[in-house]
Amino acid sequence: MPRINEKVSYWMLVVPALAIMVVFYIVPVLGIWKIAFTEPQTGVDNFVAMANSSAVKTSFVITFRVAAITTIGCLTLGYIVAYAISNYASRLTPLMVVLVILPFWVSVLIRSFSWIVLLGRSGIVNDALRGAGVIDSPLRLMHNELGVLIAMIHVMLPFAILPMLTNMRGISGAYVQAARSLGAGEWTAFRQVYFPQTLPGVMSGALLVFVLSLGFFVTPALLGGGRVLMISEYITYQIQEFLNWGLGSALSVGLLVATALVLLIAARFVNLRAALLERK
Amino acid sequence: MTDTTDFEAKRDIAEIAVERYKQGRLTRRGFVMAMGALGVLPALGSKATAQAKEIIVVNWGGTAKDVLQEVLCDTYTAETGIPVIVDGSGPSAGKIRAMVESGAVVWDLCDSGAGSAIILEQQGMTQPIDYSIVDKAKVLEGTAYNNGVGNYVYSYVLATNPKMLGGNVPQSWEDVWNVKDFPGMRTFRKSVRGQLESATQARGVPLAEVYDALSTEDGIKAAIAKFRELRENIIVWGSGSDSQNLFLQEEVAIGNIWSTRAHLLKDQMDAESFNVSFNGGVIAPGIWVVPKNNPAGTEETMKFIAHGQKPELQVKWLEMIGSGPINPAAAALVPAELAPWNPSSPENLATQILYNDEWYAKNQIAAEELYVDALIN
Amino acid sequence: MPRSAFQIFFQTGAWLIIAFLVLPLLVVIPISFTDTSYIGLPKDGLSTQHYVNYFTDAKWLGATWTSVWVGVVVATCATVLGTAFAIGCWFLSDRASSVARWVLITPILVPPVVQSLGFYRFWVVLGLIDTHFGVILAHTLLALPYVSISVFAALTNLDRNIPRAARSLGASVLQTVWAVVVPAAKPGIATGFIFAFIVSFDEIVGVLFITVRRVSTLPKMIWEGIQDNIDPTIAAVATVLVVITLVATAIGALRRS
Repeated sequence: MPRINEKVSYWMLVVPALAIMVVFYIVPVLGIWKIAFTEPQTGVDNFVAMANSSAVKTSFVITFRVAAITTIGCLTLGYIVAYAISNYASRLTPLMVVLVILPFWVSVLIRSFSWIVLLGRSGIVNDALRGAGVIDSPLRLMHNELGVLIAMIHVMLPFAILPMLTNMRGISGAYVQAARSLGAGEWTAFRQVYFPQTLPGVMSGALLVFVLSLGFFVTPALLGGGRVLMISEYITYQIQEFLNWGLGSALSVGLLVATALVLLIAARFVNLRAALLERK
Repeated sequence: MTDTTDFEAKRDIAEIAVERYKQGRLTRRGFVMAMGALGVLPALGSKATAQAKEIIVVNWGGTAKDVLQEVLCDTYTAETGIPVIVDGSGPSAGKIRAMVESGAVVWDLCDSGAGSAIILEQQGMTQPIDYSIVDKAKVLEGTAYNNGVGNYVYSYVLATNPKMLGGNVPQSWEDVWNVKDFPGMRTFRKSVRGQLESATQARGVPLAEVYDALSTEDGIKAAIAKFRELRENIIVWGSGSDSQNLFLQEEVAIGNIWSTRAHLLKDQMDAESFNVSFNGGVIAPGIWVVPKNNPAGTEETMKFIAHGQKPELQVKWLEMIGSGPINPAAAALVPAELAPWNPSSPENLATQILYNDEWYAKNQIAAEELYVDALIN
Repeated sequence: MPRSAFQIFFQTGAWLIIAFLVLPLLVVIPISFTDTSYIGLPKDGLSTQHYVNYFTDAKWLGATWTSVWVGVVVATCATVLGTAFAIGCWFLSDRASSVARWVLITPILVPPVVQSLGFYRFWVVLGLIDTHFGVILAHTLLALPYVSISVFAALTNLDRNIPRAARSLGASVLQTVWAVVVPAAKPGIATGFIFAFIVSFDEIVGVLFITVRRVSTLPKMIWEGIQDNIDPTIAAVATVLVVITLVATAIGALRRS
């Protein structure tokens, strides 16, 4: 039976990577569920503790709020960039694309470090503003949610721009031209004809940014001053400070479930396959 | 009862030595030795069992290991000929217990905390301190336990930046909570250790009654409420160096930080931009414990502890990394310019309270939860 | 045609936003030349002391070297495994292979702290904590999604009739893959390799959990530097990395144009 044989040989290509992923990744991640239900005692104690904790609730609220604001910020800023790149061709367009991708190659850690340098009380931004006489006393730009948001938007922005760019490049200019020739103003044509066509790209970008933001750790931990306690930081806090693996794992399960729910809900609006599996 | 030993504080003291080296205060030889030893520490174990006439002292590594070696151990070897070797692998209560239960004890003396000392005693893992050799009078009152005795101290202190505050420096924790007269950001630890005491004093509770006030649920809630009130002015420090950076970068003007870190900051910042008050501070001791059936024997180890009580050695320790002498008699030997920075000088002792490990064992976990909530919610 | 307000809004807006993206990457450069021992702009003059410190400090250099060679090993493993995987899935293109592809991209979706917790507990059992092998394995898993996505994307342009023709002419599956599919997937493989290297080279959360003292990578040194003693050496390291990135990007862009 050559057909079967052939299939088997293709599976031989697939299996090594798949097996490693299942054994060394999927199993350990599922192991967290086990810890959440078994340490220190078997049962749902950790989840009860989690549900009763006002700090945990707040941390989840903060996590979703920061992720949501980051997403909105990235979409707004990203849309403008993607629009300009795909609609105003010039000699500089390739440069714009290169500059959008550039931050991707610089680690999140270094980018967060840059923001610490910029936003500190005696950081470059405050010094410059004070030097120019705009302000008398330094602004609080860091060690609060504002600082976290600025840095997160900076980190996530390319993730929003690229899917929108892919989408906009596939949009024909003919519709807007038609609308314009029928007398629609530039804004009207944009709002009623162009924008609706870009929604799939916007949605993909939104999903990507939101999901990645939910689990973000480095930037909030470095710029949050301890008070923008997102779930990821709360988990490490429980484990490093108190060796509380049970609650830390329960929080992890909570975060995983939250992420899965977001994906499930998003599946109704976004082509997940295109947004995640087949992204370029 | 939970183990409340503050391992982070201990590691922090280790790290401080690194900075000391950078500032040229530790010898290069000593520093290089310590760095070289970092990776090979477990090897000491097997060597230890072979030779009985050798004392293995265990602390939290980094480079405090080197200071310990230089200040206490080498001097003891010079006096007695008995080699004393420091192992920096971190003698947590769990490790000590595992070692004693397995019957293969290689450690003679461990730098632990009061919380661990009490638990280990209850579990029968440690030996009583022989107070006929170790002098009870040479340690701070309240740090001589049955199975553990103080070896150095550090404090939670009120640090300020007078320059940022325009010379108007808060003198008490009540002042720290007074945002109107003392504007600016404050820093507190990302844990309730040594912090609730401040908030309780800010409520107007006298220093001596702080732990009484905290002994009720209402007392804890009231202290937490004080943090809720102040939180818009709080940046939290996670590690000792975190707190140091916040002052160095002038992110905060006021803070509750470790005296050992303050000791570093006073050298890094101008005299007019860094100041420390021990008023209302919380002083915490490191505690020596001796595992049961230690290879060097009880008497030998007790003699070494007694050696470490010598005031001149303890002063040296203070000079090098800012840990305060546990021996009250050492205060007289501290150079005048260092005295204000010594957590256990009589002047500073008078204004501080001793860290209450029993309170933490009972209340810490619940309090931490409320504390986080107050800061973020 | 004069530019309308609409156009001005989008064009200037886009450049401002790109400035927001790129300029912060450059602030590390002046800082790295500071003559002070703390983070700040140069005070009395420029100094290269922090570069000297980086290039003479055994710990920084050791960590850099570790990151580079671990990155190359990870990229190689992930590229080999991921390419085989993507090619197999491309041939199969059935429901089961589609599920397999979803499984392989889970590391993109699981929050880093959560997966690192999982690694930590499992690596303890396997005795992989604080070993280079442990880091390589973890990073390979994190890099696999990127390789498989980029290789698969490259294959979407390949006409299925070509390998079919090769097979009907008597080539074995392996020969077909090697002679027909791999060449077609080459751009995707190259991209995947670079991605995998970067994923490993920049990874921090996992390393924080699964290494202690023996293994130190560049991101870990930077992380500890930011947390422990903010020292301008970090700015020097960051500058080196940013400049390498800029040069590589420029070369890449020039070669393409």
